[in-house]
Amino acid sequence: MRNIPNFLAIPVTMACTTVYAVDYLNVEQAQQLLFAGASAINATITLSEQQKDAIKSASGVRQRSDKQEVWRMEKDGVMQGWLFIDDVIGKHEFISYALAIDLNGQVLGIEILSYRETHGGQVRLPKWRENFVGKTRNDTFKLNRDIPNISGATLSCRNVTDGVKRLLVLHHLVLAS
Amino acid sequence: MKKLLLPLLTASAFTAHAGENLLGYVQGAETLPEGSGELYQIFTQREGKSAGDYWALDSKTEIEYGVTNAFDVFAAIKGMALDTQGLQIDGYMPGDREFGLKLSGLELGLKYNFLSPALDDIGLSLYTSLDYSWIDNHSGQDKDTLSLDIKLLLQKYFFEGQMIWTANAGIEATSATRDEIANLPEDFEWPTEAEMEIELMLGTGLSYRFAPNWFVGGEVFYEEEHETEVNLERWSVFAGPSLHYGNQQWWATLTYARQLNGGGEKFAEQNDRSLHLIEKTENEWRLKLGYNF
Repeated sequence: MRNIPNFLAIPVTMACTTVYAVDYLNVEQAQQLLFAGASAINATITLSEQQKDAIKSASGVRQRSDKQEVWRMEKDGVMQGWLFIDDVIGKHEFISYALAIDLNGQVLGIEILSYRETHGGQVRLPKWRENFVGKTRNDTFKLNRDIPNISGATLSCRNVTDGVKRLLVLHHLVLAS
Repeated sequence: MKKLLLPLLTASAFTAHAGENLLGYVQGAETLPEGSGELYQIFTQREGKSAGDYWALDSKTEIEYGVTNAFDVFAAIKGMALDTQGLQIDGYMPGDREFGLKLSGLELGLKYNFLSPALDDIGLSLYTSLDYSWIDNHSGQDKDTLSLDIKLLLQKYFFEGQMIWTANAGIEATSATRDEIANLPEDFEWPTEAEMEIELMLGTGLSYRFAPNWFVGGEVFYEEEHETEVNLERWSVFAGPSLHYGNQQWWATLTYARQLNGGGEKFAEQNDRSLHLIEKTENEWRLKLGYNF
């Protein structure tokens, strides 16, 4: 038995410990926070390889999924803008967020739906999220210059920042035309 | 099992810990955020010298603290257990020895981050530690050892962080003095004068996140040691896979490393002549546990 490490039993035991992810908002709550009183019409799109390549080329960020969840937001029959639901890679798990864009391709707001990382819970705070408001695809998105970094969550901040830029480009290439 | 009853104690060379470790040996360049801490427990099982029986368990309990966002300090307590039979290596291993886990050394260190892997094109940190131990981790005999370890740590993210490349290069200077041993075998050499050693290390590894929270990785590392009298005393190449799980509060990494090739000094009875088996073993298993606070 000496060739089998005795400590192998430890990670098995620990892996069986259930860890519940914390979700802060659901999609409906994010829709109402970002477009109060508006109704949502599902406009989820499936992207072709050519469209994904174009997004990568224009934004510098890879579009990981073929399918992009997006909603047309209307109020009294008048279109208010678009709401995207997106996932980006965090250090351990995906970070889910909602991005609201007006008809001119300008960021109206961003809400964090789920964040499950060790450090960097400040991404949920308005102070950090407000840095995105008013941004367009023509703005620069350099982390620690245009968008403040949060220590201990640099990868998460970078991927959310890149994600917003990617969605602005996707909006321009696929939805605005 | 008796050897494992003291789980909070020990480790071997090439153990640098700062931040979440995706691999067993090669480490990344990230530091902890200011004011946060991490507690580590690392077990390393070393076994097999292709002759006789050799089994050793190293333990290292470490606490690390982020003084600033780019500067960590840490302190560690080390321990060791050993069971060796049928091995006698002139100048290194006088004979059979068995003891359970006991304290073997202390370590203090720091890590400074120059470039962040998520902000800059590549991450770069300097790691240095001062290690004092009073047990020889090969023979288990009494030996006072003082080591200064300096490493450069590189890290790069690929695919938004889904794949992570790391590389380390380091040098360790050691001064060691063995205690006298009574009743040594006849003609057995056991020098007790102070000896100086310099160890060089190069390692690289790749980790890939295949599911949320789970990483699989592989690493290869080369070590060589130069000693006062014999110059190149040993060299070895180890490689192996790792499985890592991490969540908000804690993480665990299990690593297997096998010696692929080695050289320098050998002992007469070793059956595998392609490895260095005096100070190294054929196989190592390492389990790391981390807790964030």
